[in-house]
Amino acid sequence: MSALLELASVTKYFGGLCAVSDVSLAIKKNAIFGLIGPNGAGKTTVFNLITGVYKTDKGTIRLGATDLLPLRPSAIARAGIARTFQNIRLFGQLSVLENLLVAGELTKKAGIFSAVMRSRHHHADEDLHLAEARSLLEVFELGDKADDASTSLSYGNQRKLEIARAMMLKPKVLLLDEPAAGMNYGEAEGLKKQIRWLRDTFDLTVVLVEHNMQVVMGVCDEIQVLDHGEPIAYGTPEQIRTDEKVLAAYLGDESLAMGQGTDVPAVELPVKDPNAPEAHS
Amino acid sequence: MNGILAPLVTGIAQGSMIALIALGYSMVYGVLKLINFAHSEIFMMGSFFGLFALQHFAGLNPVLATALAMILAMFGTSLLGITVERFAYRPLRGRGKSSLLRITPLVTALGASVFLQNLAQLLFTARQRPYPRLFAQTRPLIFATAVVVMIALELVVKRTWFGKAMRALSTNEEAARLMGIRTSRVIGITFAIGSSLAALGAILYCLDQGDAYPTMGVGIGTRAFVAAVLGGIGSIPGAMLGGLLLGVLGELVKFSGFEGSVDIPVFIVLIAVLLVRPAGLLGSTRAEKV
Amino acid sequence: MDSAKQADESKKGHEKPRSAKDRFGGAIFVVGSLLVALVAEFLLPRLIEDSSVRNILMTICCNAVVALSLNVINGMAGQFSIGHAGFMALGAYTAALIVSAMHTSFGGGTLPPTSFDHDYLVAFGHSFAIVPVALLAGALVAALFGLLVGLPSLRLRGDYLAIVTLGFAEILRLSVATTRLGNDETVGEAVHAIGGPNGFFGPVFHVGSVFLSSLGGKKGYSGPDGAGVPLYAGPFWVIFITALVALVAWRLKFSGWGRALRALREDEIASEAVGVDPTRYKVTSFVISAFGGGLAGALYAIMRDGNPVVQPDSFTFQTSFDAITMVIIGGSGSVTGAILGAVFVTVTVKLIELVQHADVVQNLSSSLEAHGFSLDLNALRMMIYAGVIIALMVLRPEGVFGEREPFFKKRMRTREGAPA
Repeated sequence: MSALLELASVTKYFGGLCAVSDVSLAIKKNAIFGLIGPNGAGKTTVFNLITGVYKTDKGTIRLGATDLLPLRPSAIARAGIARTFQNIRLFGQLSVLENLLVAGELTKKAGIFSAVMRSRHHHADEDLHLAEARSLLEVFELGDKADDASTSLSYGNQRKLEIARAMMLKPKVLLLDEPAAGMNYGEAEGLKKQIRWLRDTFDLTVVLVEHNMQVVMGVCDEIQVLDHGEPIAYGTPEQIRTDEKVLAAYLGDESLAMGQGTDVPAVELPVKDPNAPEAHS
Repeated sequence: MNGILAPLVTGIAQGSMIALIALGYSMVYGVLKLINFAHSEIFMMGSFFGLFALQHFAGLNPVLATALAMILAMFGTSLLGITVERFAYRPLRGRGKSSLLRITPLVTALGASVFLQNLAQLLFTARQRPYPRLFAQTRPLIFATAVVVMIALELVVKRTWFGKAMRALSTNEEAARLMGIRTSRVIGITFAIGSSLAALGAILYCLDQGDAYPTMGVGIGTRAFVAAVLGGIGSIPGAMLGGLLLGVLGELVKFSGFEGSVDIPVFIVLIAVLLVRPAGLLGSTRAEKV
Repeated sequence: MDSAKQADESKKGHEKPRSAKDRFGGAIFVVGSLLVALVAEFLLPRLIEDSSVRNILMTICCNAVVALSLNVINGMAGQFSIGHAGFMALGAYTAALIVSAMHTSFGGGTLPPTSFDHDYLVAFGHSFAIVPVALLAGALVAALFGLLVGLPSLRLRGDYLAIVTLGFAEILRLSVATTRLGNDETVGEAVHAIGGPNGFFGPVFHVGSVFLSSLGGKKGYSGPDGAGVPLYAGPFWVIFITALVALVAWRLKFSGWGRALRALREDEIASEAVGVDPTRYKVTSFVISAFGGGLAGALYAIMRDGNPVVQPDSFTFQTSFDAITMVIIGGSGSVTGAILGAVFVTVTVKLIELVQHADVVQNLSSSLEAHGFSLDLNALRMMIYAGVIIALMVLRPEGVFGEREPFFKKRMRTREGAPA
């Protein structure tokens, strides 16, 4: 079975610093794929490269037969890759329902002219997306909060809303960036179930960046470990758990050895960009 | 050959003066990421302060009178700059990045500019006031002043505690504050320096070009801002380079017999440069952390 | 639990018949405003004999179009354009040129006074050919320039649009105001010189100069014969067009497109991640805004009881700043707020003009001027506006109404947003 999402020798420099070095991933359809590593390993950068937020310096990224590298982020979303963000990014002034409806915009047939004329197409689109959004909100148990401001939701619900919004795109691949951050043991257990359920129900492929080993080890089929931007290990959760390189990389981080979750939200060290303007040079 | 030399010399003089004003935009942008629209009006106020001072010192030796006028005008505009910052910008700081708030600093900056311009209109009337002709040749003075200021500023930014604090603030305000830098004070000093440079530029400009009037800031201010953007906003050598390019370009355009306003080609060059190098000639972009 | 199927079902179930208000609301609004506008066309001159009062009412309408169009880019898209006067100028000059030319081809002469006689009705009939063409042309020229200005600057960081639009408007105004060649060369003659002994580019530039020069410089354009631009747009056109613009602005705001714009304003990276292309949305909204600005300018140029001369001085930075004030005071993103802002600013401007010409003020002003001060009430007004705007930004950055629509129950949700 060939891979759905394929990264080949992907490399990214920030100035002189190599944030991601020669990373290759082959993620099979319907897999739940884990991307782990210590802080600053370049996991989120890999997500940003896949979604086009950063430009890849070397290598190729493909979704099925589509080359993603030349596409803008919005086009990559259209191609079927949806994501969530490490530090939740919702549309604060918009209601919960509207957050989802924005994501429906890209499958719209009716254009702006149609919106002004309030044509039949416009109504058909609006009705369709409204129905989809409402059923997704039900699925994520946010139905009764549809008209609330998205900023008024609790932290956990904001995470759920972000996933629901991503699902509104009907993606082929869902990239989850630390969905368990800040969750306690029980919530993390729930998250594991939800991820599997999402994969089965929506015929998804899930890529997971996560520090919570309880979640990663419990839900992933395959895991790739990064350290300092370089791939150091790849395999099933059992193989990774006993890999010496991985243990060395995580030295001092007991969570892996114990297979237990840590509910300290992981803060990625800011990668200093030497390109950034020096104050006044 | 001689024909093209004259516009070049004029252009360099003009350009170094534009650069002095451009520095104010650049410094404030570097620290606050804000287009300080009021800067052009501070320039205008500077020229009035200078004029009044020169009128007061009319009997003195021209060099001494000019020096005193410069000091007084620089002091006056510094106070003005700090006041603008205090009332129009500081209350907005630390409010986070909510959508509605993103353009608010631009709006208050524009408001401050309109406020000052109309205040001048009321206080000084709209008429043009001629500057005394103190020197036969002002161009060497302009050029020399600009170069000295540029070097001094570069040293301040690179070598002093204040410069270090300013650069830290520019990179990450929150981290700078956590490291014990008193950000409000650094920002205030930045405004003071930028504003006093505007006064310097204003007096040099008026000695060279003649009149002070309330709407003078609009044209020069816009050109200086374009220079700052062209050179790479936030960069001191960039402001100098942008100013010189603009000055020379303007004079060459006049020399070529172009019938329209000099601003048209200047503007076209700006858009062309931004298309190729969005951060300006010497600037650099920073990717947003996601 | 098969939610995909569930979604499918609710999709079908949702196609319920719409209420009459939903289905015909727009049509009723259009027909209604058409009737009101027609009645106004014939009654307004009778009810209000003072043409300067009529002028205020018509100016309010034009300014409402200004505010509504600026609101698209400044309010809804959250980009800061400060050169709206430039687009207004483009619309105004284009419309004035077209109306003058069409008026000549319809036989010329002075427009009849507003009475019910035959001549008046003929002119009113002609306006149905002339006004739509002139308005549309003005708006399209402005939209074209909007595209040219917006495409390079909107790809960059937000602040650049501000400076680029400011520069654009000023250059446009200065080009028209300062280009006076002082000979009687016509554009046609200049075009003939292209490719002649002076080569290509020189004469092409020259055509531009001759054209700009034909616009009358600082004194303004007052028709080909200098007798003034024929003012074809009576209350009917001004009111009807304003109503249409308000409807379009409303529908844009409460559409998926408006929602995507608001999302973009909230978080550009997140909206890209859900497939919203920032550049496309920003440029589209800027072009729409420019189109509206051109429309407003065109309306302003050919508005009855207005100024029959199109002058560069009508499109200074102050005009742009007034437009910004209208949008910000009302509340960025609010359609009703923009209209109310337009009313407020227009009325204060006109009031100040009145007061400034009063004898008492004139006397006071001249005695103050003897002391070296000036009592420029307009400058005072601008100062107060600027002060109010700064205070508003500090205390209540969302404006008086925020994004809300006062007088309308439907708040920020979509029409269908009420619980099903």
